[in-house]
Amino acid sequence: MSAIKNTEITARDAGFISCHFCSTLCKLPKHADLKKVELVCPCCKSNIHLRKPNSINRTWALLIAALILYIPANTLPIMTFTLWGDGQPDTIISGVIHLMDGGMWPLALLIFVASIFIPVLKLIILTMLMISIHLKARWKPKDRTVLYRITEFVGRWSMVDVFVIGILVTLVQFGNSANVTPGLGALSFAAVVILTMFAARAFDPRLIWDVLESETKSGSKKTVSNKDNKQMVKP
Amino acid sequence: MDQSNHTSVNITQIACHDCDLFLQVPQLRVGQSATCPRCNAFLFKNQKNSVDRSLAFAITGLILYVISNMFPLLSLRALGTTQDETLISTSVSLFKADMPLLSIVVLFTTVIFPATTLLGTIFILMQVKMDKFNDYTAPLFRFLRSTDTWGMLEIFMLALLVAMVKLGDVAEVVFGTSLYAFCLLILSLTLLSYSLNPHDVWSKLRNEITQ
Repeated sequence: MSAIKNTEITARDAGFISCHFCSTLCKLPKHADLKKVELVCPCCKSNIHLRKPNSINRTWALLIAALILYIPANTLPIMTFTLWGDGQPDTIISGVIHLMDGGMWPLALLIFVASIFIPVLKLIILTMLMISIHLKARWKPKDRTVLYRITEFVGRWSMVDVFVIGILVTLVQFGNSANVTPGLGALSFAAVVILTMFAARAFDPRLIWDVLESETKSGSKKTVSNKDNKQMVKP
Repeated sequence: MDQSNHTSVNITQIACHDCDLFLQVPQLRVGQSATCPRCNAFLFKNQKNSVDRSLAFAITGLILYVISNMFPLLSLRALGTTQDETLISTSVSLFKADMPLLSIVVLFTTVIFPATTLLGTIFILMQVKMDKFNDYTAPLFRFLRSTDTWGMLEIFMLALLVAMVKLGDVAEVVFGTSLYAFCLLILSLTLLSYSLNPHDVWSKLRNEITQ
């Protein structure tokens, strides 16, 4: 770990745009109307923006879609295990309960964490973050950024159940005696996971911090520049 | 587009991608990593032989990926017949079971994106080593970085373990030839993502432009 000189201002206030993909720092051209002109990163040729465009709207859209699909994901069967013509449909929750009844505790715990705990955690965290942005909350921005990083990192592991269904469908194909068919619940669940992953990507964590800057700006610009000088003197 | 979409590049400073703090680019010694002082975001690191190591892991990974796709990963033996499980057969059987969308998701996350990651990384790192870049280098690397989270082979590995335990007391589960190669593939993919330093590649490309 190495300490970095802290200038206490954001790149936006300094007149720079950081490219989302290659983090190239581009000088914002003077008298450029950002609403009209699309700026292009000279390094990776992607469009650059001060903040992710329409971040709040896109995140809400994806998040609400995920919340709606979460209902069929839990009520419809994810797969049907047919043994000697006797079909037994399983939802996510009943699958976990069956594992528990069968004495497979570690497996039940793993599926519970991946298929129930993580998706719910993600939906709750993202909803809370969005509400906190709307309320212009100044509450612990660092902790909220950590929460955001958790949703980004942990989300993809929910796909475990989808893959397990795929593997069981492939392996258990013994004609009429025993087979596994996937249910619509699996599709809805996969959609929930993918939509929340897109929602996490659409969310811009810099929005959490932007509220703090507008505060210091309206207070006085002098304090910021003083701080800046002090920081520069430090070795 | 008009002229104003061209901007000049600042290479002495950097902005934190999570909180947009304006920072000096620190000079890191080998083994050090830089984090944002305000929000603690990981910025970049300086690793010894990052490019060589990543290239080695990517080539190893590609060989193991080919082997993993050649033979079955798991087989289930019951009622006198055997069912095989390969990487691609998961999406094929989902397609046959009237789940085309799910089969596409599985196909992309377990077959296509891991392959593009390995091939693309080898291609990019070769270019970095030879110091020859073309117009496609930057868009390709951008594509690789954004599809990085969608390659889910390590999650598929966990799913294999779950399926193995689930079926273990119902029928006889046989380890396939590819399972060993697949385990090593997961290992080399993990080491690749640890050793690859995107910041190095981007700064090479940036230098190319600013010159």
